[in-house]
Amino acid sequence: MSRRPGFVLEVDKSTPSTLFWNGEGFVLEALPEGSRVVYAPEPVKALEDPYGAIRHALLHPVGDRDPLPALLRPGMKLTICFDDVSLPLPPMASPDIRQMVIETVLDMAAEAGVDDVVLVAALALHRRMTEEELRHALGDRVYDAFAPHGLLTQHDAEDPDNLVHLGQTDQGEDVEINKRAATSDLLVYVNINLVSMDGGHKSVATGLASYRSLRHHHNPSTMRHSRSFMDQPSSELHSSNWRMGRLIADSGVEVFQIETTLNNDTFPTNFAFLQKREWEWSLRDRTTYAATSTALAKVPPRLSRQILHSIRSPHALTSVQAGEVEAVHALTTANVWTQQGVDVEGQTDILTMGLPYICPYNVNSIMNPILVACLGLGYFFNMYRGRPLVREGGVVIMRHPTRPEFHPGHHPSYIDFYEQVLTQTVDPTEMHKQFEESFATDPWYVHLYRTGHAYHGVHPFYMWYWCAHALAHVGRVIVVGGNPAAVRRLGFSPASSLDDALEIASDIVGPSPTLTHVHNPPILMADVH
Amino acid sequence: MSTLLFERSLPRFAAARVVSSLGSGRGVGIGPLRLVERDAPRLPAAGWVRVDPTLSGICGSDLATLDGRSSRYFEDIVSFPFVPGHEVVGTVASDAVAADGRALTAGDRVVLQPVLGCAARGIEPPCAACQGGHVGNCGRTAFGHIRPGLQTGFCADTGGGWSSAGLVAHESQLYPVPEDLSDEDAVTVEPVACAVHAVLGAPVAGGDVVAVLGAGTLGLLVTASLGHLAALGRCATPSALLVGARYGHQQKLARRLGATEVLPPDQLPRAVRRHSRSLSFGGDPGTTATLSDGADVVFDCVGSPESIAQALAMVRPRGTVALVGMPGRATLDLAPLWHREVRLAGAYAYGSEAGGSAHDAVSTFSLAFDVAAAHRTGQLVSATYPLSRFEDAVAHAGAAGRRGAVKIAFDTRKGPSR
Amino acid sequence: MAGSGLRRRIGAARFPLAAPTWPTTVERPEPERRVGLDYDHEWSRRYPVRLARAMVLDNVTRPVARLVAPATVRGLEHLGRLEGPVIFAANHASHLDTPLLLTTLPTGFRHRTVVAAASDYFFDRTWKSVLWSFALAAIPIERSKVNRKSADTAADLVEDGWNLVIFPEGGRSPDGWTQPFRGGAAYLARRTGRPVVPVYLHGTRHVLPKTPEWDGRAPGGSGTEDRRGGRLRRSPIAVLFGAPMVPDEGESARRFSDRVEAAVATLSREVASDWWQARRAVSAVAPVAGAETAHRGPDAAAWRRSWALDPPPSRARRPEWPD
Repeated sequence: MSRRPGFVLEVDKSTPSTLFWNGEGFVLEALPEGSRVVYAPEPVKALEDPYGAIRHALLHPVGDRDPLPALLRPGMKLTICFDDVSLPLPPMASPDIRQMVIETVLDMAAEAGVDDVVLVAALALHRRMTEEELRHALGDRVYDAFAPHGLLTQHDAEDPDNLVHLGQTDQGEDVEINKRAATSDLLVYVNINLVSMDGGHKSVATGLASYRSLRHHHNPSTMRHSRSFMDQPSSELHSSNWRMGRLIADSGVEVFQIETTLNNDTFPTNFAFLQKREWEWSLRDRTTYAATSTALAKVPPRLSRQILHSIRSPHALTSVQAGEVEAVHALTTANVWTQQGVDVEGQTDILTMGLPYICPYNVNSIMNPILVACLGLGYFFNMYRGRPLVREGGVVIMRHPTRPEFHPGHHPSYIDFYEQVLTQTVDPTEMHKQFEESFATDPWYVHLYRTGHAYHGVHPFYMWYWCAHALAHVGRVIVVGGNPAAVRRLGFSPASSLDDALEIASDIVGPSPTLTHVHNPPILMADVH
Repeated sequence: MSTLLFERSLPRFAAARVVSSLGSGRGVGIGPLRLVERDAPRLPAAGWVRVDPTLSGICGSDLATLDGRSSRYFEDIVSFPFVPGHEVVGTVASDAVAADGRALTAGDRVVLQPVLGCAARGIEPPCAACQGGHVGNCGRTAFGHIRPGLQTGFCADTGGGWSSAGLVAHESQLYPVPEDLSDEDAVTVEPVACAVHAVLGAPVAGGDVVAVLGAGTLGLLVTASLGHLAALGRCATPSALLVGARYGHQQKLARRLGATEVLPPDQLPRAVRRHSRSLSFGGDPGTTATLSDGADVVFDCVGSPESIAQALAMVRPRGTVALVGMPGRATLDLAPLWHREVRLAGAYAYGSEAGGSAHDAVSTFSLAFDVAAAHRTGQLVSATYPLSRFEDAVAHAGAAGRRGAVKIAFDTRKGPSR
Repeated sequence: MAGSGLRRRIGAARFPLAAPTWPTTVERPEPERRVGLDYDHEWSRRYPVRLARAMVLDNVTRPVARLVAPATVRGLEHLGRLEGPVIFAANHASHLDTPLLLTTLPTGFRHRTVVAAASDYFFDRTWKSVLWSFALAAIPIERSKVNRKSADTAADLVEDGWNLVIFPEGGRSPDGWTQPFRGGAAYLARRTGRPVVPVYLHGTRHVLPKTPEWDGRAPGGSGTEDRRGGRLRRSPIAVLFGAPMVPDEGESARRFSDRVEAAVATLSREVASDWWQARRAVSAVAPVAGAETAHRGPDAAAWRRSWALDPPPSRARRPEWPD
């Protein structure tokens, strides 16, 4: 059967209820007649020989780059950087795509006799990965060959000895990145392009940058002018990264970019119903739905989290391209759109979404209220090209339990942000002015970021800025089934059921609004005409 | 005339202690406090005058006494039976001269400064503390021509505020109430004076991080006093005044009274850490996390072993923990205090406050009247009760936070039953 | 209360109820050292002890080793034709090596074998000395140099009819590659005239890896620590015995040692292929140079040496979850 493209369903009397993710669980909701549901295209066919495809890409680069073996020579300094634990979601089943690419690169490097090789996890201000996570991403063979010798490192944006300031862009943006990477003869970047925001110049200019550099594009004003940050040409976030990327290239840093795309085969067979259209659910799908949704609702959140976070996604490689950053990224973006793009006619008054248990910042961790806001208003809202799915002044309804729970080891500054900042303001610009610096330079957060597995002190602010465009655009945000105190703390309205939420929304959008539901994940991007 | 009398009765004492372990104030019904008919005490000597209480507050130390959990240290500076009530606003029954030398005519409103120091006890010459105006530090509260009692309300000879029969007070204890101050504002002047004394006794420097633990009457008044005294230039302005308040109404009041940030007590250490830009260590189950730097001054307005331990964990090395709430027996790990050279300082009562180079020395009470007027501290008086409902009153005071209250007072204007 | 009172009384006891204290003015002699190289292990070869050891070795160590590390054994036929004591020279990557080797030996050898063990590790405390002397019939030797006393002891034992297991690398390999052989085994062979049997132990480093010796700090920062050391994992294991070797006429101990190393290297090649392929691979170059490329690893940067090693077996992983 050939792959079916994305699809917009109009709900009528014979439409079965629609699956909504609800944190560590899911529910079926009956949407009002006339509502639209946007479904992602079916998975693109996987490459049959991933290792062969990777080898081919490295030997036949695009843009102005020689094949990788021609760039490798004894005595050179080679740095291989790779995307961190935030990609892909959920983590893919072994072997991870990074392992496959890096093993191929290392075989070539070993063949060429390159002795000075260092691996760098390009995690910017994200938390350091744990041993298990690194082993999963890179494979034991790479880990055991590099980690014991101190050659497997994780980018440290607070290490003054390992940062280099390359200059300022014509807009006065500081470009400061990892010194080892910047001073290498060749910087190989191994990317996973899960969504169209990833990759391109953002890989190096963001992944390997310091706070001093990141603050130029990770701020409320830039994020408000990124419409959306998933659509590179219309994204101020990306314009800034592109300026920085070009400056990095002009400063003589030779980047060999390897980008990969995955299909949206997101869930393993026993959870397959999560990516099926409801009217096609088989008896088995219905049984597993009933069993898992009941079980997940019954067990304590800690256990349901463990169950869901142990899901390893069957994501498969659909393309790999290597060479010069911009040429590579153009191909990558096209491939991402092939997998995720759905044409949607016109905007809607109410946009509904069910938020899952995972976002890029809580892999093996807890989804706290700030991340809930970021996933809904930052990610899902911005999954559009052209115009937002919801009209200006419209309403966003999200479903998530929004429990005020935090992972103290991973998100220490989030706790203080929740207790000490959100109690005083929810306005991105205001908190940027009043609080950002004190969080960004707090010595305790810096210590935890550098020596533990904590996100940087400023990270919760970035999550909130991610929402800035949506906060300025929509008239109200309603969270169905959320902890009322936590939802109010975020500045949103709590509702106990979807009907209540629609009732609350009617104050803003009138009694007979249009409603669109994004059936995400699997990830989809709406092309709104 | 009705009077609440606290008698020495060991069985009742023990009973109160057992029952009040279920909740402060609950044991008062079977405790040693009784409503009796009794006249005002006789005037002990010249210079004494009868005061008819109008409002009289229930203080944390009163609750501790009624619950039978106050320290045995006080046994010898208290005399039985006594009439509790040391937060008193009332009227003088005859003409007198107030502590500041102003003349009072019968019926004038006064606030009682309850400490029974050398002047009230007729001790000549007065002790060094009293001579210096620091009447709160008087060490002779067990001697002189009245029976032992550190304050009015703990002395068998003076009576106390929880009485419609009146009490007797020495002229040096009387402070006239300005016209514009309501009775409710006036009844809080005594606790305000405690807060003022605590604030001026703590070494707050400009730009300091100051934490206040607890937002009952004292915590809120320390918050209010710190802001007001800093505005007067009598103390430095901290960069952050962080208040730990458990209940919603306390949090609102603390914000209104000038706190920079108000948080539930379990979140306070995190706010202190952030404002003092500290690192933090320890904190495994069973130990308290200690801050590398911490607050410069912590006002502990609770006085429990837990609150003192929390204060010690939040204060910076060489910082000060001021114990404002009355503590008792406590089991504490003093290793951090020793290692970090923390000063653990008591802050009791009032007297005279040195003004430094810019101000004259002035009595704590006159500053307290300022603060009470500026912040209308009468807003903390949540409920008043007639003496006949003393069991309800004490139970309400014992559960003040939970029941959305701050200060509970007896109203003796309306007679014993209302 | 009674207990603490009793304790106080005992604590307060004075001479003669308590042991006498030494007068400060009287010089105290150094205590006699009875561990390390000076440990007297003669008892461990007395008949009742041998019997007890044989019981433990056959009934405890052997089944446990079989369970933890089921090994493929090759080349035992070389031992069948041998008479009298021999010296086993093996590579060394894990603590598992000694029990594994001992339990794979045919019965005739197993109960008449002593193991040369580093005196600074296995004989630094009395209890350890007793334990290893008993369980493995270990004798203390110095890692780095030939110590007169320990060499004499070992030679005497071999001449006395005891087989000797020796790890000529002088310690477990730090990175998985074999370290250069030291001359001890060859010296003893020359001195006693007994043959050396080369042994290659494959895969033990994956089963029980050496614990890395960093001082608590991961080289690449947190997340890059290796917490696998000292823990047991399943991995295929092989024990390969080579043909016995005797020194040639006039061959120096040094030269003979190199030849033994080359033989172990050849065996290491045999794991992946067969005896003939291994022989060809090694004898394509000079025997000694072949030894280096075969099992000492390439002379390159640390990562390339690790990269060239056989990969560890893959294993299932669970995500690390917060408490």
